[in-house]
Amino acid sequence: MLPATRRMASTLPRSQSSAALTFELLGKCSTTRARASILTLPHGKVNLPIFMPVATQASLKGLTPEQLEGTGCRLCLNNTYHLGLKPGQEVLDAVGGAHNFQGWNHNLLTDSGGFQMVSLLKLANVTEEGVRFLSPHDGSPMLLTPEHSMSLQNSIGSDIMMQLDDVLVTTHPDKARMREAMERSVRWLDRCIAAHKYPERQNLFCIIQGGLDLEMRRECCREMVARDTPGIAIGGLSGGEAKDDFCKVVVTCTELLPELKPRYVMGIGYPEDLVVSVALGADMFDCVWPTRTARFGNAITKHGVLNMKREMYAADYGPIEDNCGCPCCRPIEEEGALGITRAFIHHNAAKETVAAHLLTLHNVWYQLNLMGKAKEAIIADRFPAFIKEFFAGLYTDKKDYPSWAVDALRGVGVDLLEASAD
Amino acid sequence: MTVDVDIEEPGSSTAMRFEVLKTALKDAAAAARPGRLSFPTRRPIETPNFMGVTSRGCLPHLTPDNVTKYIQASGAYMSLEDFIEKPQQHSSRVPPIYSTPTSSKHPTPLHSFTGMPSFITTILGARRIPAVPSPMGNTNKSISVFTNTGFQPLTTSDYLSAVNTLKPDITIPLSDLTNSNITPNSKRALRMAERTEDWIVDWFNSSSSSSTATFAPVLPISYPMQWEYLTRLSEDYVDNSQLSGLAIYDPSLLPDLPSPLLSLPRLSLSPPTTPHQILSHISLGIDLFTLPFINTISDAGIALNFTFPAPLPSSPSRLLPLGTDISNPSFSKSVTPLSENCKCYSCTTHSKAYVQHLLAAREMLGWTLLQIHNHHVLSEFFSGVRHLLQNGPDEDFEKARNDFLRAYEPDFPAGHAEKPRARGYQYKSVGGGEPKKNKPAWGKLGPDADGNVEGVETPVVPEGKEVEEKGFAEEVKE
Repeated sequence: MLPATRRMASTLPRSQSSAALTFELLGKCSTTRARASILTLPHGKVNLPIFMPVATQASLKGLTPEQLEGTGCRLCLNNTYHLGLKPGQEVLDAVGGAHNFQGWNHNLLTDSGGFQMVSLLKLANVTEEGVRFLSPHDGSPMLLTPEHSMSLQNSIGSDIMMQLDDVLVTTHPDKARMREAMERSVRWLDRCIAAHKYPERQNLFCIIQGGLDLEMRRECCREMVARDTPGIAIGGLSGGEAKDDFCKVVVTCTELLPELKPRYVMGIGYPEDLVVSVALGADMFDCVWPTRTARFGNAITKHGVLNMKREMYAADYGPIEDNCGCPCCRPIEEEGALGITRAFIHHNAAKETVAAHLLTLHNVWYQLNLMGKAKEAIIADRFPAFIKEFFAGLYTDKKDYPSWAVDALRGVGVDLLEASAD
Repeated sequence: MTVDVDIEEPGSSTAMRFEVLKTALKDAAAAARPGRLSFPTRRPIETPNFMGVTSRGCLPHLTPDNVTKYIQASGAYMSLEDFIEKPQQHSSRVPPIYSTPTSSKHPTPLHSFTGMPSFITTILGARRIPAVPSPMGNTNKSISVFTNTGFQPLTTSDYLSAVNTLKPDITIPLSDLTNSNITPNSKRALRMAERTEDWIVDWFNSSSSSSTATFAPVLPISYPMQWEYLTRLSEDYVDNSQLSGLAIYDPSLLPDLPSPLLSLPRLSLSPPTTPHQILSHISLGIDLFTLPFINTISDAGIALNFTFPAPLPSSPSRLLPLGTDISNPSFSKSVTPLSENCKCYSCTTHSKAYVQHLLAAREMLGWTLLQIHNHHVLSEFFSGVRHLLQNGPDEDFEKARNDFLRAYEPDFPAGHAEKPRARGYQYKSVGGGEPKKNKPAWGKLGPDADGNVEGVETPVVPEGKEVEEKGFAEEVKE
């Protein structure tokens, strides 16, 4: 086998541009399918792989835009369904879009609104026209179409928009319905492309559906790729399926996707899931879990999730995580360090909003830093070692490694259980 | 023109300095006076001024980095009862705050435990402001305090050792207060004065070389009831610099203070509820205020917008509002700042429409932005007061005070924002059966919605015909 660095040097970097996006591949892992790249969007560059925190209602859970910027975040999510209700399209048009509205000068990604329809409104019913649902207020029938979703996302002005898709839980038993949903999502993508008003300044991503049926996923990949959107999402996952099945879907899709487009796996955020998905060839991830769990008093660390409400932290005067570089944890002598202790978080977790804000800062920083470290490791072509270090930090005993992760990584050439070489 | 209350000398209790900037006013009993209160390594406090009121060691909704960047207030009031709860399963634990290590950035345990920036001057009292009345009375050696886990006694010696450990810049020794609106009868009032006097004597006998300045309580009872106590303060503790200031529970007593006490800085613990009252208390000679109303006003969704001196009236017949209820849906498209011409972070960066949205969506950032703005408005207000007091003849301030009274409405507008959840330590049910403050944010949507498991979204339910009006979806004509 040729030395990895030489092989990469001969073929990289390579890039590909569309109207409002440039994807530049910086490096590829010579063992796994992991990639490091730079994505240039209308509001600036972001490094991939990336975790995108979720500012559901145009605010990242108590942080000012400056504090979010301070975590290194340059791309976050807003939810179209929530912004469509509050403040609503008219207000968004009046204030010139969601960037202006929330004082965020970096990139935004919005979902289509369809997922919240289906997950929050039990009476929703999907037809070829769109998502039908009963207004929870007066019970009158309402309809959300791909055209509505595009119009609203155009008003929001997000840098990356998602198509409206027909989302089913991956564990849906009815294969015929699953096929219908997949095919309908393709038809809806065509309607979304036709309805999209500003392709020169907003990127529309397609979403691959098909449940856990790998053949259906492959078919969907071919159809979606043919429509040449600037980026591609793998959707419908993270809905309760087994992790093994999740990994099979991701690995099946990334195999078929064009190399020079970003790949976004929607709705995942546990650190293990991120690291494994990067190894399987995915680039972008989002999840509310890191910020939500912060509000419940949980800190994400390289040794796992710590519940700061436990009595063991009441008199622990150390930082939330040793050697963490976030504003809460970094050494007190450093500029901007806040000197926050576990004891203080324990004192105020679930009691004062300040504790939630501080843990949110820490958790977002952790997630972004994890992906930043993954990128460095990929470029240095030491990503397999990075994966091993990551799992060794989480579990003291290899027997505890989750079997889905071991199996998925073995599939891309990394054996977590082999004795370390050194 | 500088008058040192406290000259550093061996055995002196503290390095606090208080200067009255107009000598003529130094010993005035009931007159507004400009001054400066300073501690080594803290930001000097120009007076009259206010201190932020903390909850559990935090200025509500403000992380320490935001305090440093956006808050001009130079002091914070903290209550010991916020730190000494006894959790049921760990009732014998030593409150963790007592063992906090310090660092160069956080030089006292109080700063260190709370992450409070070191430029902030700290005041430690036993009770929150305002204090929840206790169903248990005080005893000869202790008062009853309300912690996160319920009422518990706090003895005078416990309090003294807490102060010695935590090293606040200013502390207020225990006083025998009822914390109720009912005026105590003369027997109770007399006992209040006697106990407080006993405790002060103990306090000064036991506190040795503390770095903390002691502000002695002046009780909310009539002067004749506490003249013995006040006389002892003025005769025994002023000349030897053991007493550094006064904590005033009723500003109307200021004209009665014995003259040796007059040069001491005066901290008000009787929270004024409007800027008019603040001005009236300044006229009575209060130097420093604690203003818990800022926190409650921000929680209610109100952005303050008064200035001192008041602007010239555009229409003399209409009173100006003291604040704006930003939760009002009429602001949903307003791209103007919370208050015109305001230079605070919230106003220079965000719009009414955004804050209105945050309040409607119950996003925590809404309260953060209002706290930053409202603290700024009060800082500017006090800065206006000091400017007049320092530069103008004495009558100018009184004239501006009257103009302010005539220009502005007497009260804050009602705020209709849904408030953050209140917990037991902030709020005590009286008699029970109070209605819920906020409407429930969660509800079962369908037969299989399984409640509050982590991972369930907070349902956002469209209101009325909003969905269609906002272009999100259309109504289907069957």
